[in-house]
Amino acid sequence: MERPPLKKVGEVVYELEREFRPDMHVPLKVFADEQLIGQIQRDHSLEQLINVCTLPGITRTALGMPDMHEGYGFPVGAVAATLPPDGAISPGGIGFDINCGVRLLVSQLRFPQVESILPTLFHELSRNVPTGYGRQGRFGLSSDELDRVLNEGCTYLIRERNLGFEEDLERIESRGTLPGGDASCVSERAKQRGADQLGTLGGGNHFMEVQKVDAVFDDGAATALGLALGQLTVLIHSGSRGLGHQVCTDYVRLMDQRLAAHKITLPDIVGTCAPLSSGEGKDYFAAMCAAANFAWSNRQMLTQRVRETFSRVVGATSEAGLSVVYDVAHNIAKLEQFGKQTLCVHRKGATRAFGPSSGEIPASYRRVGQPIFIPGSMGTASFVLVGTDEAKDISLSSTCHGAGRALSRSAAKKQVVGHELRKQLESQGIIVRCPSNTELAEEAPLAYKDVERVVDVVIRAGIAKKVARLVPRGVLKG
Amino acid sequence: MLLKITAPTLPQLFEEAGRALAELMAEQWTGDPAAATELVVVRALDREALLVEWLNELVFRSETRERVYPYLRVTGLTDRELQAQIRGAVPNLLRTAVKAATYHRLQIAPSTDGYTATVVLDV
Repeated sequence: MERPPLKKVGEVVYELEREFRPDMHVPLKVFADEQLIGQIQRDHSLEQLINVCTLPGITRTALGMPDMHEGYGFPVGAVAATLPPDGAISPGGIGFDINCGVRLLVSQLRFPQVESILPTLFHELSRNVPTGYGRQGRFGLSSDELDRVLNEGCTYLIRERNLGFEEDLERIESRGTLPGGDASCVSERAKQRGADQLGTLGGGNHFMEVQKVDAVFDDGAATALGLALGQLTVLIHSGSRGLGHQVCTDYVRLMDQRLAAHKITLPDIVGTCAPLSSGEGKDYFAAMCAAANFAWSNRQMLTQRVRETFSRVVGATSEAGLSVVYDVAHNIAKLEQFGKQTLCVHRKGATRAFGPSSGEIPASYRRVGQPIFIPGSMGTASFVLVGTDEAKDISLSSTCHGAGRALSRSAAKKQVVGHELRKQLESQGIIVRCPSNTELAEEAPLAYKDVERVVDVVIRAGIAKKVARLVPRGVLKG
Repeated sequence: MLLKITAPTLPQLFEEAGRALAELMAEQWTGDPAAATELVVVRALDREALLVEWLNELVFRSETRERVYPYLRVTGLTDRELQAQIRGAVPNLLRTAVKAATYHRLQIAPSTDGYTATVVLDV
């Protein structure tokens, strides 16, 4: 493909006009500095974002975040809005791991006092949190119970199963429950894959990290979020596990078979889609919402495992002290209000970034904005940000979701030796629990873009504000 | 994760793709001679989609039965349907969790050695 003539239209904003290709319905924008735009142009992600611009019913602008990299269908790090009722919904615009996301917990424990118990605490966490793929959840659900998780999400787990506190709900995006979730639209295969997986971390890039707050950039916002220098935090990165993967697989197949019936032609088959108003569009939306409810419930169960572990190692009082800062989705489509318009916003590898004036964030955060967590690569810092009101117009209230891959897994394995990386991280005082050196190498820091640079771009673009930096002290990898 | 497979015939290409998936999912496994042979039938709109369906069937069985499937024999193959007999093995050391086979860069083409397939797995 001809190299797209991106035009720099702002300090960290590049644009491609709609006229670049006749099938584009909207222009695109990428938030990046000169180094990141160079990295982005090395893979096929820009071509994929151009394909996103051809989605039926797409409106405004297709957006690429500074951590954008090649994905399946949509690139990872992309945001696109379609107009209901007939605009498209695309499983490839959400991803296989529906509602993959991150949750940050903050404890009342502080460094350096906690230093002496850290090895024991982390050892117990690694024993109590199932990792890798497969069915090790130790929280089997009956068919009816699974359906309730799919339909009601965290509300069911917390209010009826006592798996968490009422105040947790307030601090989860959409209160951990999308009302559109309908278990009857989730296949039996998907339910079989998910039945024993609630409360499991999963494999790939999923992880749990014990961290220390090592810098605060905005005292007021940090205080509102309950963060202070030296505090111990726990970051959980997981998603909807096999259940969500199967939902995506099922509906990609179904929508692909129905493309011709909807008179849709697409440049990339993984961008398969259906009108939101169609039968399969409605069913997918309901199944996607159900899988999102499962993912929030999964992170809720993982939270409970962390709380149990803290209680056992540190003492009963610590359980109440381990509170949810917030929980955000990375891979999801949601109906959101922009002025008088309701839009179906696809975020794939992107985070919602509502500003202080949003009524949809907890009351205690309304002066500062919705918390956003940007995990770095293994061994590097993560950042806590908050959304801005300006993001609504600039980026469809969205921001980046992580450092973003710079190297494929295969390329990373060629350059990194797993056991050497393990030693290197341990020499930096980071405890590592990962059963496979191969998997460890795939997630090596050099496989990712520079997270500080990525964060710097979204700050300069005005779509988020920096609150605090968290450094890893223990990494449990799936 | 890009899988590139070459085999002399199309049935062997599908078998090799299945074995490659097993090797990706587990570093070591123990064969179970007593394990029952499982019969698999998958259907799709074309040959490429059939490869995705076949791999996704193996992903599903691997995850729900805690097995990998290195023992595979394709017993019938058209552009739209595949029949196979497979037998599972118990993984000793898990390697890569595979979410799904995708349509991204999917291709099956004749090559000097028979046929070559490329398929991208979401891991």
